[in-house]
Amino acid sequence: MLKPKQMSRAVIVGHKDIMEATVEAIHGSNLFHLEDYNEDGSGLKLGRPFKNAGEVSKKLIQLRSISSFLGVKKESIPKKKETTVINELDSMLDQLDIEVSTKTEKKSELDSRLKELETLKKDISPFSAIPIDMELYHNYESIKVFAGTVKENIGSAVSQVTSTYEMEYDQSTGTVALFIKKEDEAKISEILSNFEFREIRIPEITGTPSTLIADITREEEGIQKQITSLETDITSIKDKYSEFILASEELLTIESEKAEAPVKIATSEHTFIMDGWIPDDQFATLERTIESATNGRAFVSKQRITNADTDIIPIEYDNPKITQPFQEIMDLYARPKYKEIDPTSLIFISFPLFYGMILGDIGYALILLALALGIKKMVKSDAVKPLMNVLIYCQISTLIFGVLYGEFLGFPLASLHTDHGIIPGLIAGFETITLFNSPVGGEVITYPIHRTHIVMTMIIATALIGSLHVNCGYVVGFINERRKHGFAAAMFEKGSWLVVELGIILGVLGYTGYAPTAIIGIIVFLIGFVMLIKGEGAKGAIELPSLLSNALSYTRLIAVGLSSIYIASTVNLIAFDMILPQGGIVAVIGAIIVFIFGHALNTVLSIIAPGLHSLRLQYVEFFGKFYEGGGRKYSPFGYIRKYTEE
Amino acid sequence: MVDAAAAVVYMDPAGLKAIGAGLAVGLTGLASGIAERDIGSAAIGAMAENESLFGKGLILTVIPETIVIFGLVVALLIS
Repeated sequence: MLKPKQMSRAVIVGHKDIMEATVEAIHGSNLFHLEDYNEDGSGLKLGRPFKNAGEVSKKLIQLRSISSFLGVKKESIPKKKETTVINELDSMLDQLDIEVSTKTEKKSELDSRLKELETLKKDISPFSAIPIDMELYHNYESIKVFAGTVKENIGSAVSQVTSTYEMEYDQSTGTVALFIKKEDEAKISEILSNFEFREIRIPEITGTPSTLIADITREEEGIQKQITSLETDITSIKDKYSEFILASEELLTIESEKAEAPVKIATSEHTFIMDGWIPDDQFATLERTIESATNGRAFVSKQRITNADTDIIPIEYDNPKITQPFQEIMDLYARPKYKEIDPTSLIFISFPLFYGMILGDIGYALILLALALGIKKMVKSDAVKPLMNVLIYCQISTLIFGVLYGEFLGFPLASLHTDHGIIPGLIAGFETITLFNSPVGGEVITYPIHRTHIVMTMIIATALIGSLHVNCGYVVGFINERRKHGFAAAMFEKGSWLVVELGIILGVLGYTGYAPTAIIGIIVFLIGFVMLIKGEGAKGAIELPSLLSNALSYTRLIAVGLSSIYIASTVNLIAFDMILPQGGIVAVIGAIIVFIFGHALNTVLSIIAPGLHSLRLQYVEFFGKFYEGGGRKYSPFGYIRKYTEE
Repeated sequence: MVDAAAAVVYMDPAGLKAIGAGLAVGLTGLASGIAERDIGSAAIGAMAENESLFGKGLILTVIPETIVIFGLVVALLIS
């Protein structure tokens, strides 16, 4: 439970004749983590792909391009028999290819025509108000044409130079079309440059601009219609073939994985050697599978794991089902190393505990519980499910703390008598019971615990919980270190912290007069400090103040919780004490709206704030004490079929 | 015009406490924000390169969060 799964290093050796059968058997069993072979000059070479590899990958590429063109989405479909898919694969693929490729061609043709028309339209549009045939702008021997934009009417300026000219000017766009004699060109262009003339390219077509634009618009509409009908066709093809595409893509992926496998395997002229990892308890299964697939001609052997290997051993979690969702939270940080304690089961307890301590509200717990259950039921995704399970665990913890705190959507459930009068509770007749006096701040511990009234006590309590959690971290770190480097190293590196803490406690007890241990405390502290310097070096001394800041960091358990309560009670205050007493139907509706939106906002915050803060306490304060991480993921050579079955 | 001495008399201790608490939360909030801004953008950059750095990025980003928590605690102690 606290360790990753025991792994064995397995080596499979055999004649090349049986390589394909062996690969087939291993892939089918989906147990063997195949280690890629790197050529290292030992004379062994990487293998060549099996001879069907080229064909399979060609088909796979063809299928994938069709699939992406059609936009086939992954969905759950009834599983198909492998043999039926294989039988119809070739004919269906050809048929599909023909149908799709004509459509693709047609579509890209239409798309490019549409683009062409758009550019043309853009080119013509400046001239739309000038009723000159587009053909008449070109091909003159003695006439020069200026077409473009200017900043204002140039008519008067041009008429001062020459009287033989034709000009069309569009006031609104500033477009000008000016026809002059060739010999006046130099003078006119000088004038034009004074008017910020910018030339516009004239497209080589015939017809007046306005009719041309009307024609283009009509053609565009026609093309749009064709594209729409083409898209309906594509959708119908997609609906018809999507099951086939999903099933055959899966099949081809499997085939191609198998066909490409030899390039990861070491081979000599006649033999192959597969090197990899397998969970210890599955070794016998692997042996049996390979033996039956090859008639015992392949040799499977278990290798001894050396110390140098421990860093590359792939890690498979080995946790009871109930704590498995938290593996996701571990993966977010890093997988444990092989010889490390896998803290999944530890955060299974502490993460929901801290989340619940922060939120602690029956109302929000019920809302979020319903939300998590709903999402878990609706969304089938494998990525979402574990997160929802984590959320459900957190809400159960929140519910328990909610009962303990007696809070419902920011309202106290029990009424409380204070110096300033009575704070009424939500449940009539439910009185707060006084339990005992808190040792700090003159506060009184009651049931339900009114967090807002015993802030001092809660701050100290959460800091103590923090110290406890941090010390758990040191203990786990001690165990890890002892496993890796022996007892002495563990004592100096992690045990020293415990000694330092003991010294501080004894010292504080001595100085406050509870026990005559002041001197002993200082001595113990100094011993611990020296051990720490020996274990961690100067870094240890620098990190010493972190004992205090880490413990204080846990005060967020109350601080973030209080901010959530205050938001909730502010919403309640606005809705019921400020809007509702105005009277009338409008006030009722207003109060309801404020109530719903306010609490919806706070519900969202109730996932993020306690979640992130609880997560941070695990990652930074807790893991920082012992966790190394960085293990490789165990990913066996094989495939989990979704759409096909053998 | 109220003269200065009289104004001092009217200063409500509860009000001053509230101002102090507000400053404690507000200033530490700003401080956290400034610190997290740089770390956060660097973390996003790192994540764009390698998505598996999410966990580490998150941790580094929320480390300055402690500043505002301390501010909040101080505010609670004041009020």
